[in-house]
Amino acid sequence: MENDNRTHGMKLRWSFPPYPVGWVSRETLRSYIEGNDPVTGKPLIEEIIYALTAPLTEEEKNFKPERRPRRERLLEPDTEENLQRLFLENGWTDGLPIVLPTEERVAEMLTGTDRDPQEVVGLMSVTPTEERLEYTVEKVAVNAVMAGARPEHLPVILAIAASNITSLPSSTGSYGCMAVVNGPVAKELGMNGGGAAFGPFNYSNAVIGRAWTLMSINFGNARAGQTYMATHGNGLSFTNMCCCENEEKSPWEPFHVQKGFKPGESTVSLFRGWNVHNLNIGNTAAEILNSLKNFGMMGNFTAILDPLVAKGLAKEGFDSADKFREWLVKESDLPFLQKEKVNLIVVGGESNPIYITSDFIYTATMPVDEWIPKGGIKKDARPLRMPVAITCADGSCGIA
Amino acid sequence: MKEKLRVLDPVGQPSGIFGYRLNPEDDMMNITDPNLQPTISLDKMESLQMAPRLGSLENKRIMLIDTGFLGSREFLEELQEWFKRNMPSVKTELRVKPGNTFADAPEFWPEVKKDADGVILGVGG
Repeated sequence: MENDNRTHGMKLRWSFPPYPVGWVSRETLRSYIEGNDPVTGKPLIEEIIYALTAPLTEEEKNFKPERRPRRERLLEPDTEENLQRLFLENGWTDGLPIVLPTEERVAEMLTGTDRDPQEVVGLMSVTPTEERLEYTVEKVAVNAVMAGARPEHLPVILAIAASNITSLPSSTGSYGCMAVVNGPVAKELGMNGGGAAFGPFNYSNAVIGRAWTLMSINFGNARAGQTYMATHGNGLSFTNMCCCENEEKSPWEPFHVQKGFKPGESTVSLFRGWNVHNLNIGNTAAEILNSLKNFGMMGNFTAILDPLVAKGLAKEGFDSADKFREWLVKESDLPFLQKEKVNLIVVGGESNPIYITSDFIYTATMPVDEWIPKGGIKKDARPLRMPVAITCADGSCGIA
Repeated sequence: MKEKLRVLDPVGQPSGIFGYRLNPEDDMMNITDPNLQPTISLDKMESLQMAPRLGSLENKRIMLIDTGFLGSREFLEELQEWFKRNMPSVKTELRVKPGNTFADAPEFWPEVKKDADGVILGVGG
């Protein structure tokens, strides 16, 4: 609530009933009203009456919103062990070990872009009313180092940062997010949009997705129970379903082209939602329509189709994603569903005609090229690649 | 002795820029997205003042405003019952804030000012 006082510019008088308030009996609610505020330990009703009747204090009459000082660029020097502990204890990480952002490592990371390290990239918050925190190219590089990324990943991470969009939007329901990369940069980074693309098998997918959440913690001030109120949290938040689209195997134009970009441009598209259903099998329009009708989503529908599914749809005559989206909306007859809220992304390794359904909301497609150095993505002498899933070279082993 | 490392601070800088008012016309998904909110700076917020207090609730009109968040109505109804039982001179009225739970309702607040001496707004979540 201290944060909220800052937000409102005044020291509002608040009282807290115990939680939950929803889905409890009237007897329970009465016991809340006749009981104590669990935060202060004082009788709740007395607090409410006090809030309405007690004259304003001098502090309340003259309240000034807090101006927090700017933070120092460098932390106090310490041993690696102590600094790892410091980052954990301050809540600056996702709970996993990080790569410490030493001056040397951050300087190396910054070779991944030509942009001025002190250029402001954006403002972020995980709640609608909190103070936005401002961050520069250098701050993004710091979090990229922490995530285990290398300079070649920095342009995509900067593009995500420039969206100002957090991967940890605060809601008692627990959002998950997704980041899908399109265009030439995906191949340059060795990203995976094929077999097991969402699994823990690809370096670039993992570190880019992780960097988004570290930025959301450190730029969005995500604090569990304070600013981030999800009751469960979401396991997707560690790496945010980060992958690239399987453009090579898709019969349709890439997702970013559907959003107005050119095929040769590189982008990252961002999504958020609550529910992901992994196992839907079928490659016909009727089956996907049935999934949509049974999904129970809240007006947004994002389907992630294995290429076999997209190819099956193309054989049915849906030669573009747009045509299929239009058909889905028309045939679903759901009054709240609009074409622009239906997203189709092609990802997968052609193991089976399986598609993922989700209530993910499309939030933005961010251009990556403007963050890439003039000399191109910084190439490593020995590009770091994890084993890739085995796929048929001629694409003929699919079931479709 | 172990080597000491110099590392950079990973946290964003305070900007003095806040979200302040949620547009009731917006799609609900936009309303819950911090990125899409209008903003206000600290300078402008400093001009806000708290309303004077009532001194006593005797014979006062207290409006209980349901924000629409889960359980708000039921909680405020029980609060209304408490006033009836324990402070019967207080005239309570329960009204529902129009529009989305998360959105402002600028047309509603002048009504409230006209019809009530004090307000209990709940429940936040």
